[in-house]
Amino acid sequence: MKSGVLGLTPIQITGLFLGIFGLILPFLLPLETLSTAGQLGMGIFLMAAVFWMFEPIPIYATSMLVIFLQIILLSAQGPVYMDAELPVSEPVALEEETWQIPSSALQEDGTVLVAKEPGETESVRVNVIDRNGQHVIVQSDELSQDHEIVTDPGHRLVDYEPNSYTDYIGTLANPIIILFLGGFMLARASVKYNLDKNLTRYLLGPFGTRPRFIVLGLMLVTAALSAFMSNTATAAMMVTVILPIIAQLPPEDRFKFGLALSIPIAANVGGITTPIGTPPNAIVIAALSDYGIDISFTDWIIVAAPLVVVMLVIAWFLLLTLFPPSVERFNLDMKGKLNVSPKAIGLYVIFGATVLLWITENQHGIPSSMVAFLPVAALVTGRILNKEDIQKLPWEVLWLMAGGISLGIGMDKTGLAVWMISGFDWGAMGYITLIIAFSVVAIAMSNFLSNTVTATLLMPLVISLHTSGVMGEDFNLLITGIVIAVACSLAMALPISTPPNAIAMSTGIIRTKDMAKMGVIIGVIGLLIILAYAVFYWPLVTN
Amino acid sequence: MERSDIYILCIEDEQEVLDAVVRDLEQLEEQFPIETANTAEEGRKIIEKLLNDGMKIGLILCDHILPGDNGVELLIELHKDERTHPARKVLLTGQAGLDDTVKALNEARLHHYIAKPWKKEELLRVSVDLLTDYVISNEEDLLPYMKSLDAGKISEAIRTRRNVSDS
Repeated sequence: MKSGVLGLTPIQITGLFLGIFGLILPFLLPLETLSTAGQLGMGIFLMAAVFWMFEPIPIYATSMLVIFLQIILLSAQGPVYMDAELPVSEPVALEEETWQIPSSALQEDGTVLVAKEPGETESVRVNVIDRNGQHVIVQSDELSQDHEIVTDPGHRLVDYEPNSYTDYIGTLANPIIILFLGGFMLARASVKYNLDKNLTRYLLGPFGTRPRFIVLGLMLVTAALSAFMSNTATAAMMVTVILPIIAQLPPEDRFKFGLALSIPIAANVGGITTPIGTPPNAIVIAALSDYGIDISFTDWIIVAAPLVVVMLVIAWFLLLTLFPPSVERFNLDMKGKLNVSPKAIGLYVIFGATVLLWITENQHGIPSSMVAFLPVAALVTGRILNKEDIQKLPWEVLWLMAGGISLGIGMDKTGLAVWMISGFDWGAMGYITLIIAFSVVAIAMSNFLSNTVTATLLMPLVISLHTSGVMGEDFNLLITGIVIAVACSLAMALPISTPPNAIAMSTGIIRTKDMAKMGVIIGVIGLLIILAYAVFYWPLVTN
Repeated sequence: MERSDIYILCIEDEQEVLDAVVRDLEQLEEQFPIETANTAEEGRKIIEKLLNDGMKIGLILCDHILPGDNGVELLIELHKDERTHPARKVLLTGQAGLDDTVKALNEARLHHYIAKPWKKEELLRVSVDLLTDYVISNEEDLLPYMKSLDAGKISEAIRTRRNVSDS
């Protein structure tokens, strides 16, 4: 039950005020080294980060708010930049290399800004010869008659060319979001026609009745389904599968802990497998795509699937070691019958065709987001999904991702992201240390925050490490991005870490300490595996 | 376990029987507070008070023969009241005739009929079942109820309803 003011807990109220404070903080304490646009972006970033952490409003609401604030404060059509024009004037030539310029143009460090392309200025050093009220006489061999000197170096358009608002709202139709939409519609139809349950039944069959293989089967099937459906929906479905198995166990049997833990672990890890497996993948893919790195569905699977399989096998081994089965055999009696109505068959065909086209993207070259429109169009055309089904899609997840992508665009565009990494000597850190640092931070943050939010907050930093070039030649943007996506999905130590964890915990079968123990072990092993893949495997498959 | 705002109400004129019901449902009480009444009139007052406090009635277990209005009449009335309409209604009795029972079924959409004497397991199973139905049809967040109610049905509801999604 909610209590307190506005139905918010004291922590949420603290978050609400901190977030609003964060939004206005850059105006109370302007940072000298950051442009006006950067300050605006900083306010939005601080508010979003605090709101996402304390959740005074739902995380998807924060995402929508981010887009709203960006179109108001940062876009070319918003009130701040609507009529803005960079104030410039040409220097007046007095004699050889001596110029008269407005005194407001001269900055404290003895430079003036020369406007170049929109959103770009060049700093030019000048020697002051004489001051005379409104003007200063300077000597410089770099200025010329056709230069436009910025007469107000603190102006909001300095080093910033605002995007059209359509860039921010357009994130909702970003190709990766459309890819997810296709996935959501397939998943919705699968649930409607029980395809997920029937697939589980068929796929579990070969694993027999011995406990250790049942666990392996459960984990592989859970991971395979969560690679294409939401991790949460898969976990909820698999809980209905394991409850009858657990009911066959003696009450004190510890094997049930392992059984119940296997589901969220496999669901969380399984999401890594494909681009549409889980939202953090989308954040990373969208951010990379802005830098011309388009990672295909096939490429992603080649990159991620081997890691997923290794993690699953390790987790399986750990679960059996920690919670050994005492029973010889289980009766795995899943009832159900394949739906063979024309609509259900239609779904099977569309499902099969879409997944086939997705995983063979490298062979035929049709982008996966275009393929995603096949299920979108076909499922409604064939009346396999109706209006109610579409209304029930998890739209808020699409908004959550769109807001995350939009925040990244704003941070990059305003120069905020580059500014944030500027205070630290990254070059001295070395690429390997950087990978470790990002993995540790991502896993740690994502245990407490939404996985998507973690990816959203970290990805702009990765991007600016690339654009600023501070890391030198060794730095690989693609691999660092993949590290973020994978690490965000490997955090699962707490019930709040991921929705599948919350579902498993709610059954009352597992204890928090078991989940924490497994989660920490998975996190640490995951870290080592990420590092190994980043050094040895990913460089081989990403060139 | 955290107390929910969903109440179980038992209406029964014999105190020993009432105590037995409460004892049998003890394991649910931690999450679903139990209120008791001896007459239909007292039951109404309790319901009124709970609703005014912003609470909900999830399950009503009612005897038929009561001083004043009888159980079937009360259940019909509660079925018609939109605030108590969603509550699951059980007639717990040894003395309701066929006519009254049919009336309760038709006009109060009675969810279950338990004949006295009952077995603890039966009462508990029926209560868990009905509360599960109640939360699935009326609550947004189902996770808090998985542990004490029917986890299988609730996870199935989460699967089909999709109001828990990746974050």
